Amino acid sequence: MTEQRIEPMLAESARPGAAAIPAPIVVAKPRTRRPRRLGELLEREHILAAVLLAPTLTILTVFIAYPFVLGVWLAVSDKVVGRPGAFVGLRNFDVNIHDAIFLRAFQNTFVYTFIATTLKLALGMLAALLLNNHFRFKRIVRASMLLPWIVPTVLSTLAWQWMFDATFSVFNWVLMNVGIINKRILWLGDGVLAMGCLITVNVWRGMPFFAITLLAGLQTVNPDLHEAAQIDGANAWQRFWRVTLPLIKPIMLVVVLFSMIATFADFQLIYVLTRGGPYSSTHVFGTYAYEIAMRAAKLGQGASISLSLFPFLLMVIIFQLWYIRRSD
Amino acid sequence: MAVRYGSPLKRVMTFHVPLALLVVATLFPFYWMVITSIRPDTELYNVKMNPFFTLHPTVKHFEYLFDLTLFPRWAWNTLFIAAVSTGISLFCGLLAGYALARLQFRWAPPLGTMIFITYLVPPTLLFIPLGDVVKTFGLGDTPWALILTYPTFLIPFCTWLLMGYFKTIPREIEDCARIDGASRIRAMVSITFPLAVPGILSAGIFAFTLSWNEFLYALVFLSSPQQKTIPIGVFTELVRGDVFYWGPLMAGALLGSIPVALVYSMFVEHYVTALTGAVKG
Amino acid sequence: MAHETLRAVDRRAFLKLAGAGTGAAVAGGIPGVVAAQKAPSFPKGTKLSILEWVSFVPASDVEFKRLAAEFGKIAGVEMTVDLINMNDLNPRIASAIETKSGPDIIMMINNWPHLYADGLADVDDVAEEIAKRDGAFYDISRKINFVDGRWKAVPFTMGSGVWNYREDWFKEVGANKFPDTWDELRKVGTALKKKNLPIGQAFGHSLGDPNSWAYAVTWGFGATEIDDKGKVVINSKETIEAIKFTVAFWKDCLDEGGLAWDDSSNNRAFLAGQISATINGASIYFVAKRQFPEIAKAMNHAHMPKGPAGRFYYQGGQAHGVMKYSKNPQVAKEFLRWFMDRPQFDKYMAANDGYVGGPTPYWEKHPLWEKDAKLATFKDAPKYGRWTGYPGPPSRKASEALVKYILVDMYAQAIKGMRPEDAAKWAEGELKKAYA
Repeated sequence: MTEQRIEPMLAESARPGAAAIPAPIVVAKPRTRRPRRLGELLEREHILAAVLLAPTLTILTVFIAYPFVLGVWLAVSDKVVGRPGAFVGLRNFDVNIHDAIFLRAFQNTFVYTFIATTLKLALGMLAALLLNNHFRFKRIVRASMLLPWIVPTVLSTLAWQWMFDATFSVFNWVLMNVGIINKRILWLGDGVLAMGCLITVNVWRGMPFFAITLLAGLQTVNPDLHEAAQIDGANAWQRFWRVTLPLIKPIMLVVVLFSMIATFADFQLIYVLTRGGPYSSTHVFGTYAYEIAMRAAKLGQGASISLSLFPFLLMVIIFQLWYIRRSD
Repeated sequence: MAVRYGSPLKRVMTFHVPLALLVVATLFPFYWMVITSIRPDTELYNVKMNPFFTLHPTVKHFEYLFDLTLFPRWAWNTLFIAAVSTGISLFCGLLAGYALARLQFRWAPPLGTMIFITYLVPPTLLFIPLGDVVKTFGLGDTPWALILTYPTFLIPFCTWLLMGYFKTIPREIEDCARIDGASRIRAMVSITFPLAVPGILSAGIFAFTLSWNEFLYALVFLSSPQQKTIPIGVFTELVRGDVFYWGPLMAGALLGSIPVALVYSMFVEHYVTALTGAVKG
Repeated sequence: MAHETLRAVDRRAFLKLAGAGTGAAVAGGIPGVVAAQKAPSFPKGTKLSILEWVSFVPASDVEFKRLAAEFGKIAGVEMTVDLINMNDLNPRIASAIETKSGPDIIMMINNWPHLYADGLADVDDVAEEIAKRDGAFYDISRKINFVDGRWKAVPFTMGSGVWNYREDWFKEVGANKFPDTWDELRKVGTALKKKNLPIGQAFGHSLGDPNSWAYAVTWGFGATEIDDKGKVVINSKETIEAIKFTVAFWKDCLDEGGLAWDDSSNNRAFLAGQISATINGASIYFVAKRQFPEIAKAMNHAHMPKGPAGRFYYQGGQAHGVMKYSKNPQVAKEFLRWFMDRPQFDKYMAANDGYVGGPTPYWEKHPLWEKDAKLATFKDAPKYGRWTGYPGPPSRKASEALVKYILVDMYAQAIKGMRPEDAAKWAEGELKKAYA
């Protein structure tokens, strides 16, 4: 009871011109054990914060931090399936650097990520601009645009695989019947072309996410700003570049961040579409790590390949975060 | 942003045509999947036939899916796992987002960063050590193996989204409630959270989609056919050696997308609105 | 309670055994136990779980599950059978071995017993018993399942990749039977490609068909990856001959889509009438018989052609391993013993309709082979089989070479324009790293 009466008194005393609280009352507050103590504790910001963050931190520690540490240990060991591994320092990484397929995977991962992300951003932006208007069927179109993102990746990629199939490709069928080509294009049979196919499917799948998120961003832009710019004589392109873009930069950067991380670590899409072929020319970190760890049973080596992308990813992320902070 | 167009022709060229192209490019593969799922096998293998329509639609593939696989069971599993993971992620994301957005404490920025850093760790690195953790808790071959591991990649995004959303809710509202005698927690739960419902919805939809879609962990942690999720069940049981059962595969893909598509169609406008709120923050 | 069930069933089993003429001279196993009038002591609630690949012959999966359930009833054991795609077995096996929990019996394909030897229990008793009864296992079965002096898996079936071809089209260009040598095949293939009916061969990243060509041609021309002392000898005159042959064959006879093909592409192409011949298991014929009867009538199977050094198949076969972490190794072995016993395996072979061979020459005499003469090739193929890493052991290092598709990529790159000498040198470098 004593405690409850303190607060209004404190509030009182905080008002300008109020009398100071007699010291004895404040100092002599008895520290008794009461059920309300928990409630009091939770009024304190850092205690409340700890409690609120506890579930998140527990899950992330048990299911990511701990396995991550194990994963790092794997990467510096020579572990194979079934046998205990021994510490070998950086030998796995040394082997990787001299492995032509690893270097190719390194290159592919970056190429794949940067091109796909750029395309997703550009097309997503275009889509967002288009969808930001009022037109009939707006709701249906907006909802249906999300479909590529909703379908389980494994299954939609299988559909694409068949669309690119050397014998049955629907694209070949169309192009041949229209007369543009007279020999089948072997979509997945050439290293560069296959990379193109992978990027296409990734863009198809990921663009809706960009579109919807950027659309949200566009809707925060005050139309009055555009009116003003137009009155000043700016054309559509200038309005976009000078007015819209700066305002949606924050959301743009965040969505690029999340998407880039996911694309760097991508596994499913490449695994289903090309499995890293033809002749290992479309491997990325994720698929190559998987092949080595699973089919050659070299868990240590596989972990080191997986881990290799981490420092670069970190650099890209840090750069982006710094950029966001800077423009805040 | 309402763009003012000039002549009707200009409008067609700069609006309708691009929009139409976009819609076609996005939805074409679905049209393809629909056609494949109702085409008889003999037509599927015929190169000369027009691949865009069929004159003999059949429901055999859907029948195959329901009779000869445990598809309904997989659908239920996937739904259950996705729903509960989403619930957990939202719960954690809500609390964590509030803490990071509202509360001043020394560890706020580093912890926020740590949460996002965990998003960087790739599943292809984690899945073997995680298998160990899963087994230690005795979760192998149960939906709980996935329900507890999916939040690892769902929580970071939910936290970010809700954090941004909370920042748009004026502090004053909470402060008023607290002056009136409510505790922090009460203010949080009764005042702030209800205002964040659109944000919760959009985070929830995002989390649901990612859980629905996941492949690697589901492949490794589940073993019995009864426990499988749709992506795993359809992919592993309809690709028999070197024979792909395309019809049922595409049927499975379509049916596997419908629930999520329905959820989206109900909430897409809210989703956009909610992200708008988060964006402002 | 288990007693009564056993009484009833054992009499039937016993009679069947006697009737099948194998006599009661089976050591151990349910019938043997019954003959000795002892009840198996599997406590109530014992469980056994099995992980297999999903077969392209759905009927055989049904039969496998049925047999498993039957065993469950006889022995009072709760059985679970999980079937997944062959390519997805590896991560499950790795995870199971690492976490020391999972299925009790897992199918081993090709040289996996060597790869996972540390996680597999010894099954010498079951394997030796079957070998004694049915005649020794094929040499290749022994090589891939026998690791460091012990049997690590019980051989199960042999699936072979043989030549599937269109008899009608081959006749049109003057070949009344399938060519017996590579050079003859090349002549016929050239004529066929001119008629827009090329031969099809996969050179993509898939463990089955691409390796069937790569190894068969390499060995056929007398080259090997390593010698019996483990030294890498791929960069040899013979290899370069094999590469030159492949490149020429590609230009003259092969469908140019092959670089992108995986195991299933040639099936599709053959059934669509796009190619006239290809190396494949029996899955093409299987689908043809059910959905494209005209193609089934027009096609046939034939052996791998002979090269200067002979006729060889890249083979592996399938086997069952009992996992070391299993809490019920005895039950697992009992199951395998019972399953591989003639009455049961007979049913399984019948359900497979000839699409797989058995693990010992005994099964070559099975009446099912009489049913369809076109499947005869599958019966004999194991005789010419060799394993990955021949003549060295099919070890973990051989697996790494396989996983990196070194041999397949050697041919693929040559096809893409790399000089044969450079391709061989490249393969040498890669193999040295794998065998280091």
